Amino acid sequence: MLKQECSINKYFVQGDEAIAEGAIAAGCRYFAGYPITPASEISETIARRFPEVGGVAIQLEDELASIHSVGGASVAGMKAMTVSSGPGISLKLEGLGWGIKNELPYVVVDVQRAGPSNGVATRVGQGDLYTVKYGSAGGNNSIIAISPMNVQEAFDLTIDCFNLSEIFRTPVFLLTDETVGHTRELLVIPDARELKIVPRRKPTVPPSEFLMYPLNTPGTIDYPYPNIGEGYGICVSPYTHTAKGYATTSEKDHDKMATHLVRKVTDHLDRLTRVQEEMLDDAEYGIIAYGCEARPAMEAMKKARAEGIKVGFLRPIIIWPFPDEPIYRMACKVKKILVPELNRDGQLSREVQRAAKGRAEVYHLGSGGVETHQPVHVYDELMRIIKGK
Amino acid sequence: MKNQGGDLEKTIHPLAAKYLRQERMPHMACPGCGIGQVVHSTLIACDELALTPENTVWVQGVGCSSRITYTLWKGDNIDAHHGRIFAVATGLKLSRPDLNYICFTGDGDCMSIGGNHFLHACRRNLDVTAIMFNNGIYGMTGGQVAPTTPMGAMTTTTPYGNIEDPMDSVQVAMAAGASYVARWRSTDFRQVVSSIKKGIQTKGFSFIEVLTQCPTQFGRYVLKTGDPIKILQWYKDHTVTLKKAEKMTPEELKDKMLIGEFAHRTDRTGVVERYWDMIKKIQSERA
Ligand code: SF4
Repeated sequence: MLKQECSINKYFVQGDEAIAEGAIAAGCRYFAGYPITPASEISETIARRFPEVGGVAIQLEDELASIHSVGGASVAGMKAMTVSSGPGISLKLEGLGWGIKNELPYVVVDVQRAGPSNGVATRVGQGDLYTVKYGSAGGNNSIIAISPMNVQEAFDLTIDCFNLSEIFRTPVFLLTDETVGHTRELLVIPDARELKIVPRRKPTVPPSEFLMYPLNTPGTIDYPYPNIGEGYGICVSPYTHTAKGYATTSEKDHDKMATHLVRKVTDHLDRLTRVQEEMLDDAEYGIIAYGCEARPAMEAMKKARAEGIKVGFLRPIIIWPFPDEPIYRMACKVKKILVPELNRDGQLSREVQRAAKGRAEVYHLGSGGVETHQPVHVYDELMRIIKGK
Repeated sequence: MKNQGGDLEKTIHPLAAKYLRQERMPHMACPGCGIGQVVHSTLIACDELALTPENTVWVQGVGCSSRITYTLWKGDNIDAHHGRIFAVATGLKLSRPDLNYICFTGDGDCMSIGGNHFLHACRRNLDVTAIMFNNGIYGMTGGQVAPTTPMGAMTTTTPYGNIEDPMDSVQVAMAAGASYVARWRSTDFRQVVSSIKKGIQTKGFSFIEVLTQCPTQFGRYVLKTGDPIKILQWYKDHTVTLKKAEKMTPEELKDKMLIGEFAHRTDRTGVVERYWDMIKKIQSERA
């Protein structure tokens, strides 16, 4: 177990350790990884903890092996997870397509660091927003990504990642960053009975009546996933498949599959929209940030409020699919939106711009990473854009 | 290319009827291809060991080896990305150690793009049976050079002749620690069946390479013939049994591929057994 502080369910741990514990609580029993900073603490915690709970934790020869073995474990009935960062995530994307196409429930944790390439391996960045969404070649994807801002959320949202992966039968990203991963703070682990855990759904019809992929009803979720060795003769492959899993080259079949993969997310935005909103009711200006950048953003908002400037804040928690609707609502209220983020290419701000549909001016406050923004940076920039300089 | 299947009901082999999905027949192999022979040998091995579609999973990679065998088996068929067959099999076997896994891979899949996974599957002694169809070329993609293509061979990407030496997968498998290692030709029918059976029964990683004739690509580009008989004759001329090789000089062995059973270790457990033993030990200590 983790070392406990003060009372039975309170721990003073890093975000990375909280992710490991969240995975265990969610029922994850297969883990494969490859050493990489700043995600290694997750692998190390899991290597120690999984044997205690009867799970398989293994370090494989590379990033590709770890994600593909996680796919294999998922087909074999395990809740499974892999973790990485930076160049490791680039490699993992090759395996991700197999997971998306075969609708495999599993979780990938991306502890973002400053890139491109190896970048500054030990320090924070937020350059993977588009990588996780669009990195797997071929498009037609159904990526779900959730982003925690602190250690408690690292635990709670890891569980949500597993639950959503089962409901939507798709790989889900926990898109975190080095700052959250290495921050040490209080974690409360609730009693197992209080946690909502979604188990793997099993078919209720015999194999002869079961179709592996619900392509005739595109967008279907909460669909069972039989595993190997259960008599269902399941077919999993890299090829475009029919509802049975047989390879096909027909345009009609391909479009059916692509439509289903996309619509199973886009038809269910009601279940996939989750944001934190602060002081938006009377706001004239807004800040939008995610992950580690949420803390300095909220501090800047508080400072501005203390001075009587009406600033509100919004944080995407489920960041893919992007929360277009709440951001549009916010944009209709405020005049200007500042988006602090740890990349210079303006990833989050571009998405905000798109979602705002011209209803508010959107400003990007970027940095290459390594350090998070200080509250004062965000505040100063906010003042600058408010004054219109 | 598709075979003309004829009246399937009447002509189907009893083992195909027992183990293969008839709606997926005829399979995709070109006429004269060696892959079908090895699938046949595999079915005999499965039958003689009384394996069932319920307790045995067929795993594939990408290439002719895999595209032809995918969704043939009546049980579960798990086909990985190109080269990732042993990575996927690692997840499968560690999660469901009670099932048998027969992995169909090709020389490109296993030795080139999947080389690292192959090395480490041997080293971990992952308890699966790997059958590598070696046709000496990239068949499915149109006859490009492979790591197993003979030196000097013309292929679509070596129009001036291959300047690289081929790789000996058997030596690699042995050096990396596989429990069972053998190489045969598709025509060594009895030996292939016996090796697949031994492979399934041996604890740890079993690697059976079968030299399979590919009239469509290797024949056409490298040997300049599409005639399967001539290609089989070429394999006959370029292979020597381990036993015969003992009495031959290095000069005589030049350009020859050795066939036979190279390793059969029964003393070495694999990662799967060791992992689950470790879990049992840790849990009993904590209990
Ligand atoms: S291309 Fe060669 S290996 Fe592939 S199916 Fe045809 S004959 Fe067999």
